Amino acid sequence: MMTRGTADVVETSEAPAELGRLSRFPVRRVVQWVVGVGVLLLAAYGTYETIQLGRFSGAAWRDLLVFGVAQGAIYALIALGYTMVYGILNMINFAHGEVFMAGAFASYFVARTLQNSGFLQSNPVVSIAILMVVAMAGSVGVAVLLERVAYRRLRKAPRLVPLITAIGASLFLQNTAKGFFGPQTRGYPTPDVLGGTWTVLGIPILRTQVIVIVGAILAMVGLIMFVARTRTGKSMRAVAEDKEIASLMGIDVDRVVVTTFAIGGMLAGIAAVLFTMVFQVVGPFMGFIPGIKAFTAAVLGGIGSIAGAALGGLILGLLEAVGPSLFLTGLGVKGPNQLKDVIAFSILVLVLIFRPGGLLGSDEAEKV
Amino acid sequence: MSAGLTARRVARLGMLGGMGVIYLALVGMVQTFDGVRLVGDQVTLGRVLLILPPLSAAYVLARPRIVAGEAVKPDGRAALVGGAIIGVTGGALVGLSIVVANGLPERFAAQKIFTSVTPALISVVTFDRAIAPGIGMLVVLATVAGAAGAGLAVLGWKIRRPLITGLLVVLLLSMLQNVFRVMIGQLGLDTAWLYSVRLGGLTYIGAILTFAVPAGISAFWANEGITLRQRLSGATREGQRQVRLLAVAAVGLLLAVLPFLLGSFLSAVLGRVGLFLLMGLGLNIVVGYAGLLDLGYVAFFAVGAYAMGVLTAAANSGSSIHVGMGFFEAVPIVVLLAAVTGLLIGAPVLRLRGDYLAIVTLGFGEIARVLVTSDALKSFLGGAQGLIAIPAPSFTIGGLNVDFRDPQPFYYLVLVFCVLAGFVSYRLANSRIGRAWVAMREDEQVSEVMGVSTVRYKLLAFATGAAVGSVSGALFAVQIGSLAPTSFNILISIQALAIIILGGMGSIPGVVVGALVLVGIPGFLTEFETYQLLIYGAVLIGIMLYRPEGLIPNVRRTRELKEEDRLQDAWSKGAPDAEPATISWEEAPG
Repeated sequence: MMTRGTADVVETSEAPAELGRLSRFPVRRVVQWVVGVGVLLLAAYGTYETIQLGRFSGAAWRDLLVFGVAQGAIYALIALGYTMVYGILNMINFAHGEVFMAGAFASYFVARTLQNSGFLQSNPVVSIAILMVVAMAGSVGVAVLLERVAYRRLRKAPRLVPLITAIGASLFLQNTAKGFFGPQTRGYPTPDVLGGTWTVLGIPILRTQVIVIVGAILAMVGLIMFVARTRTGKSMRAVAEDKEIASLMGIDVDRVVVTTFAIGGMLAGIAAVLFTMVFQVVGPFMGFIPGIKAFTAAVLGGIGSIAGAALGGLILGLLEAVGPSLFLTGLGVKGPNQLKDVIAFSILVLVLIFRPGGLLGSDEAEKV
Repeated sequence: MSAGLTARRVARLGMLGGMGVIYLALVGMVQTFDGVRLVGDQVTLGRVLLILPPLSAAYVLARPRIVAGEAVKPDGRAALVGGAIIGVTGGALVGLSIVVANGLPERFAAQKIFTSVTPALISVVTFDRAIAPGIGMLVVLATVAGAAGAGLAVLGWKIRRPLITGLLVVLLLSMLQNVFRVMIGQLGLDTAWLYSVRLGGLTYIGAILTFAVPAGISAFWANEGITLRQRLSGATREGQRQVRLLAVAAVGLLLAVLPFLLGSFLSAVLGRVGLFLLMGLGLNIVVGYAGLLDLGYVAFFAVGAYAMGVLTAAANSGSSIHVGMGFFEAVPIVVLLAAVTGLLIGAPVLRLRGDYLAIVTLGFGEIARVLVTSDALKSFLGGAQGLIAIPAPSFTIGGLNVDFRDPQPFYYLVLVFCVLAGFVSYRLANSRIGRAWVAMREDEQVSEVMGVSTVRYKLLAFATGAAVGSVSGALFAVQIGSLAPTSFNILISIQALAIIILGGMGSIPGVVVGALVLVGIPGFLTEFETYQLLIYGAVLIGIMLYRPEGLIPNVRRTRELKEEDRLQDAWSKGAPDAEPATISWEEAPG
């Protein structure tokens, strides 16, 4: 069967005229450019028309922008988990959204207890610190378990195998949470102090949004310092470069991989607490959409690059917050905010088609 | 101790067994499945779940281990003792957590976190006794299960396989008793000897018979099977063809009479299995043959369903377009439309490979979902309210009105399309196109160099897969008569993916088995429905970790996945405990 197969495939090359024509005419390129330019023109026209309409005030745009930055900060934190794992193992940890969910749930039960005892309201700063630690512990636990049970033995498998496993893990964790804690979404108690606004640079900003933005920036700076300055960070970079050579240099690859998952989990835990402050809900399926969005952010910024994840998260958050109103209102689309997700996914598709390496990544053909 | 019977490993497996039980209890399965009576009124599926984890852990302990490329069988008696210790450890762990859950200062405080920890669960895991004797019984049962698990592993396959076959048949007959009871009743046979109405499960005699007969047949096959198979392969070509024809005819006859045996309700489940089978066959072309992991397959399902809805619906359907076509005239248009959509989705992602392709297609699937829900397209597709008043084709034959929305006619309609899709897939796989796909899947660059136009064949795969998936969507629209946009979410894509992964990518019999197991069992046994997605997740992980080629593998796909360790495995698994089945796959066709 094998030999027959080969012979027939070779036969195809005996029709060179046809093939030649196909390869001379770059169908793919033309389609890509038509699609790309079309989308850009459409967005530009929509923006022009929206501004002409003048339906939104300057303050409304400003609030949308701030909300976008806060949302983007959360995406960026989750995106870092994807980007670091991808940088080291070349695999998409599809279940990272569920790592985030685990952190939110872990901290939820503590938050509820703190709320019932009145501690959450009387000591909000200490409470949030406790919640952060608990959420990080929960997320790190799930991330490390995931690596050990599901991914470790697949490191040398064909690339689709760990991806399918990760999809399974995502489904499994979601439904485990559903079985453990019930399918409903629950209200997450937050300190009352966080209601209201602070005025930053003359602009009134919701307090939660300020905390989210500041918290995310601190976490990212911490991560960059860790990767750049510490010994473990150095070995992580070495493993990302070449696993085999790194292990020849005396680096324990398994340990570095576990550390990577743990750091990704820590950031997801922080993101979980920040997320629950803004949206005030937890539920078993809360991680899925933020997970995919964060992955989009990671790809947009250039997967494998830490600064890229931050930039990608910011851009995605902004586009999602402002985009529907800005691009679509002018086009006369009904209910533009329902199409928020379409914008996010269209960005993902467009980035992968035009610049697969992402904004800050190298345009490596092999990676895609 | 070279076979791995160390104290540490025993303790670890024991803990794992116990944690497995605790997991199943916390996630709610033990309690839910306690309502499923298997044999008599004492053996319930929930109780089987209580002893299954220690049993499996002990089985793992006693399996031959590969040490330095050689299979080392553990000493039988030591393995049995180890298995029993695993059972004791696991049982004790579970007992301890029962005591903790029960003894917390505030009774059932654990329930505040884990919704399943209720007094009802405690009484299930303590066998409706007081705490102390209940835990004692649990530990004893777990110990027996551990020893049994180890025993199963130590016995040779000639004994193990009949035992497992018998147990599986008992499990299947008892779990799906609402199916088989109806079937046997329809045949005009008595079911009282097999199913006890009073006890709720199989009768004891029924259980013994349903265990013994398949076990006996399996034992006979284990001893004589090789000779029989040799005689078969030694037969003339003509003879082999006759045997094959006979088998096909038997399966065909069974499929033809099945709806009459099952009645209307169960036929509806079969219809659903058929829909997913069709989707699995379509996705199999894209993922299994061409190796393009498409996670947005629901987009094609949605295109099919909505196209059929818009084309055939009555004027008041919720869409401003009114065509009012018949089903059969609309099918070719729907298929064409889906194929074009496949091309449109395929064209921009041609450059992407592997995991990136998967994520982009996932994005397309989500875009499809959002678009059908949105107000933007509401005037065409009905928005969040969806479409209604989609007619089903019907005809009158001899005064008898056949409406394809009724489960039994619908089953035949789906069956026709499944057979068609199966035939097309089979022919494609063995054609030049199929071989080009294989070449592309195995190595894109090399196949390009060899003259395979990857652009053309990728697009072809997308278009074909889309066409098959859209038929499934169109039939779905006919089956339920109205479309709600919430039915078109990513879970549909993942369900289809799980089906082909379980069966084996690129294998048509695999898709059939996958659809039957993953859609059929939850459909027939409603207790499973709650845990359907959990089980899908577990299946995806388990199959990828332990058997990436699937249950009924495609030969070439297996080679790709196991290229490196195949030789070594064959050599090391070699003599002592090799089962002949592994050899026969190598010769099985596509």
